Amino acid sequence: MKNISKLFLAIFATVSIISCQKEEEIGPNDKNSVILEFDNRIGDQKLVLGATKAKNAAGEEFTVTKLNYFVSNIALKKENGEVVKFPDQYFLVRQSDANSLNITLKDVPAANYTGLTYTIGVDSLKSISDVSQRTGVLDPASYGSDNMYWSWNSGYIFFKMEGTSPAIPANMMGMTEYQFHIGGFGGRTAVTPNNLKTLNFTFGEAATVRKDIAPAIHIINDITKVFSAKNKISIATSYMIHAPAAGTVIAENYAQSFIVDHVHNDKD
Amino acid sequence: MRNRYKLFIISILVLLGAACSSITQEIKPEELFAIPANFPKPVYDFAKNPITQSGFELGRELFYEGDLSRDGTISCAECHSQASGFTHHGHDVSHGIDNLRGIRNAPPIQNMAFQKEFFWDGGVFDLDLFSIAPIENPVEMDEKLGNVLEKLRKKEKYATLFQKAYGSKEITTERFLKALSQFMNSLVSANSRYDKYVRKEVGGTLTEEELAGMEIFKQKCASCHSGELFTDQSYRNNGLAVYNVEDTGRHRITQKDSDKYKFKVPSLRNVEITGPYMHDGRFYTLEAVLRHYNESVLDVPTLDPSLKNGQKLGIQTTADEQKKLIAFLKTLTDNEFLKNKRFAAP
Repeated sequence: MKNISKLFLAIFATVSIISCQKEEEIGPNDKNSVILEFDNRIGDQKLVLGATKAKNAAGEEFTVTKLNYFVSNIALKKENGEVVKFPDQYFLVRQSDANSLNITLKDVPAANYTGLTYTIGVDSLKSISDVSQRTGVLDPASYGSDNMYWSWNSGYIFFKMEGTSPAIPANMMGMTEYQFHIGGFGGRTAVTPNNLKTLNFTFGEAATVRKDIAPAIHIINDITKVFSAKNKISIATSYMIHAPAAGTVIAENYAQSFIVDHVHNDKD
Repeated sequence: MRNRYKLFIISILVLLGAACSSITQEIKPEELFAIPANFPKPVYDFAKNPITQSGFELGRELFYEGDLSRDGTISCAECHSQASGFTHHGHDVSHGIDNLRGIRNAPPIQNMAFQKEFFWDGGVFDLDLFSIAPIENPVEMDEKLGNVLEKLRKKEKYATLFQKAYGSKEITTERFLKALSQFMNSLVSANSRYDKYVRKEVGGTLTEEELAGMEIFKQKCASCHSGELFTDQSYRNNGLAVYNVEDTGRHRITQKDSDKYKFKVPSLRNVEITGPYMHDGRFYTLEAVLRHYNESVLDVPTLDPSLKNGQKLGIQTTADEQKKLIAFLKTLTDNEFLKNKRFAAP
């Protein structure tokens, strides 16, 4: 009896040690998801398509009726500098589709992550790939009337923002619309404008992926910066942008319009 | 019965032969596509989309399908008709849906597998991505690719045709586009009298006038209209007066000032019946084209250097030379291609 209780105690002690270790250390096969939450805003206001009114740096009032962009080549960086890549995963963020605002990266190895990288657009390799590689959000048949593919100048529209502004001279229909369609991957058979932008972030508060923690990285994209982060754009003069070279000033701006605001490390 | 057995054995052998040769040579079957002896190697990667009889037939059906357009009225063949070398004969620019007009002359669909880039400005670099452009162009077919696939899914005949071509009824972007590529790749024009002449085949006789024209052509035209495709596939400004400032040609794609108003050097195969000529179809006859090179080439900033060689801009030819040149150009007409029933509406 005494022996049995000793044995029991020993087992109990072992089990507790193991479970304690489990709490502190990361198992080699522990994985979970990481969610990138894209929160598109207009300055200090919520972005409601067609409703929110704001002014850009040039003092021009504008609204946003459409906002879409591709996110690809995502990579997370561990505290120790090791990089975990998510190749061949392409996402299309559409403000009009709430589900698309949260990008879920699956099977991320458990670790503390303090860096994030992603590209706005579709990289050149994918942009010249065989049509068999163009599925999901890259399928040119998938866009309907909200096109994200240039058929006449083969390539994807990386970033699309449309809206209205009283600063724009009214057209024949009395409309004052702006359209920013930004693309250009650098060309296949000739060098053409390249508007691929890769964004890098480091954050103090680590995203701690654990067996029971799927962190959410909250990214804020401030649309007012699309007009001014690097190059000051006046909607009154630049309101129809549909070609890569003209889009470069805007691409350089949205390359600086995103920030990682905070990280949620809530347990499942 | 015995004969039937023999036939069976023979067909098995043929099939085996075909299967084996398809390993060593990707481009099969030969009856649907073959590299003409006098042609360069194709640019198209047939490994990713080999031509099959059923794929070709599906592609042909799609080529002649009006439902590729928004209102069902415009098929590919509307602006690319076989008898005119798959161009829109007599139209400077084509009339698409709702009778809207484009800005450029419809080029022939021929020898597509040998082309690096498509359209007058080379904006599309892969034949498989080509067909999306006319479908979605608001003045051509004005439809959305996704809608086209939806419409095809509702037609029973396509369930059968896709099943035959791909082993299942599923209609995807890839299958749709690649079937069209199979049909277009099969459109090889290489049996003109000129071809038979260079390959020393039966029927390959050229008259003295045509031979003299060929010599003039080699001296004065072949630096751009080079090789057996009769184009070096480059983009050049041939000194045309600019009628449409907006259409800056190759510049629309590269956005380099040095490419302004440059357009692709077109092939001259079947040139006799693919008029009118130039990117905007401004010249109705070959005589008008030669007259342009003779006397109306403009000294514009991106004018091709090869047109600045002589004392006068352009390419000077005498009336006699022009006559001979045109006689030669007409030997590039390939009636076997233009009248091949296999390429006609099914």
